Amino acid sequence: MKQSLRSYGLMLKWQALSKKPILALTLVVQVMIATGFIFGLGFFYREITPDTAKFITTGAPTIILMTVGLVLVPQMVAMARMEGTFDYIWSLPVPRLVYVAADATIWILIALPGLVLALVLGAIRYNFGLEISPLVVPAVLLISATGMFLGYSIAHGAPKPEMANLATQVIVFAIMLFSPVMYPIEQLPGWMAAIHRVLPVKYMADLSRGTLTDMDVNLGLAFAVVGAWCLAGFVITYALVRRRR
Amino acid sequence: MTTEEPGARDIVLEIDRLCKAYTRGILVNDNISLSLRRGEIFGLLGPNGAGKTTLVNQIIGLVKPDSGRITLDGVDIIARPGYARQACSLQAQTQVPIAGLTARQAIELVGRIRGGDARSVRERASKLIDQLEMEEWANKAAESFSGGMRRLVAFCMAVVVPGRIVILDEPTNDVDPLRRRLLWQEVRNLINVGSTVLLVTHNVLEAERAVDRLAIINNGRVVGMGTPGSLKENGDENIRFELVLEPRVDSPALPEFIQSTVVTGRRLVNRLAERDIAPAIQWARNLKERSIVEEFSIGPTTLEDVYVKMVGRADALEMPENEVNHETIAS
Repeated sequence: MKQSLRSYGLMLKWQALSKKPILALTLVVQVMIATGFIFGLGFFYREITPDTAKFITTGAPTIILMTVGLVLVPQMVAMARMEGTFDYIWSLPVPRLVYVAADATIWILIALPGLVLALVLGAIRYNFGLEISPLVVPAVLLISATGMFLGYSIAHGAPKPEMANLATQVIVFAIMLFSPVMYPIEQLPGWMAAIHRVLPVKYMADLSRGTLTDMDVNLGLAFAVVGAWCLAGFVITYALVRRRR
Repeated sequence: MTTEEPGARDIVLEIDRLCKAYTRGILVNDNISLSLRRGEIFGLLGPNGAGKTTLVNQIIGLVKPDSGRITLDGVDIIARPGYARQACSLQAQTQVPIAGLTARQAIELVGRIRGGDARSVRERASKLIDQLEMEEWANKAAESFSGGMRRLVAFCMAVVVPGRIVILDEPTNDVDPLRRRLLWQEVRNLINVGSTVLLVTHNVLEAERAVDRLAIINNGRVVGMGTPGSLKENGDENIRFELVLEPRVDSPALPEFIQSTVVTGRRLVNRLAERDIAPAIQWARNLKERSIVEEFSIGPTTLEDVYVKMVGRADALEMPENEVNHETIAS
């Protein structure tokens, strides 16, 4: 355990240093997405009530964290796979999950400023109050971890890294347009709604809504469903990173 | 083949009848058996695609063998790849992910990851940087490094806290001749601190000078093993007889005593028995007078000749030839 923590710290430092060249740009992009997200919303509706604005703004953390977990992470992993760098990283005496944890930590830290900014800007722009529960910490961690594990599963599971890149394009499109994050699930056709009652995306949005506002959501169910997806993602990631060719 | 059998206690890594196929039926490693003795530099030579890196990847636990055994200090490392990663340090053939890091940071981080304490790792990194004359780059970001400098940093990462086995996969690729010498000196130093070195390369000239023993592998099989000396003494045709033809001249008919001819462009490398030196010189002089041969030389067989013969083709070597003519003469 002590050895794992030591390795985690060192891998964290390695990952932080290796992200340094793209860190500034990534942060700028995150901030742009957050700002664009909040102000762009205004163009969708002639008039936004505080309740609608609250619904949409609290969907932002899910969109941002899923974009990082399911798009950025798989793309970076795919690039590393193409360069063959995992052959080196996996040869180090570091448990592979420790490496994954260090990598995920850095990505969460990169995503956080944009996420907080989106919430604050949304609350100010549309004039509603946030009611932040301490449960927001486990909620954000769970959403992030689930996104990362699913992202890792796609990135390491794709037979060819290029396929992972393609898959991320489809996923981001599906999440942005066809997920009940920016609109209530009742607005989707029945069959799509049925799918979303099993997929984690709606419940991720519920987690942020339930822990950031007074909105009425079933937090217990949301934690359970996202938790189950997180566990599944973890198990698949674990199996994939341990796999020998 | 080696004459003396080492005692079991001297063997640190043992590979026994290892087979691996990525595609069914195409063996990348075909029944490979070899063992590394404590404190030796063991060379693994073979052309590109011979299966060298696949073998290394099985030792380090990236690739799972289809059959066979690998034991390190008596531990079955196919079952316990984590043990292998603790015990072996690797300079992989692939790029090391050091973008964003300085040379010093990369070397020190791996040293710490391999269990070294901060102070001794810092001292060791400084010493390596000094000995390989890398001071100019030590604190620069890796993005600006040339291929050779990247290889040197990767080498330092593998040896900063060396494993009981240090695996070096083509360590000198792209490295300038001066630093190559310094690097080989460092490899020798690893033996003094108790490591065993597995050197993977297709650079026969360098290997001949560096290794204690070697195995030549081709098409996934071990085709020769022993000390450079013992491999060269194999057979009685241990004289190298090289001819360079005049440009645009057809190869002459070869006398019977000339053996194992390998043709690369205008260059014909042959093997002879010692007793045939005199007639060979006479024959070559005659060809030179008739402007068929531009120059010729005679000397002891090199490891390169043995290698080419075993691998069975001259293009396995990186010959400094401009005009390559793949026409071969039957020996």
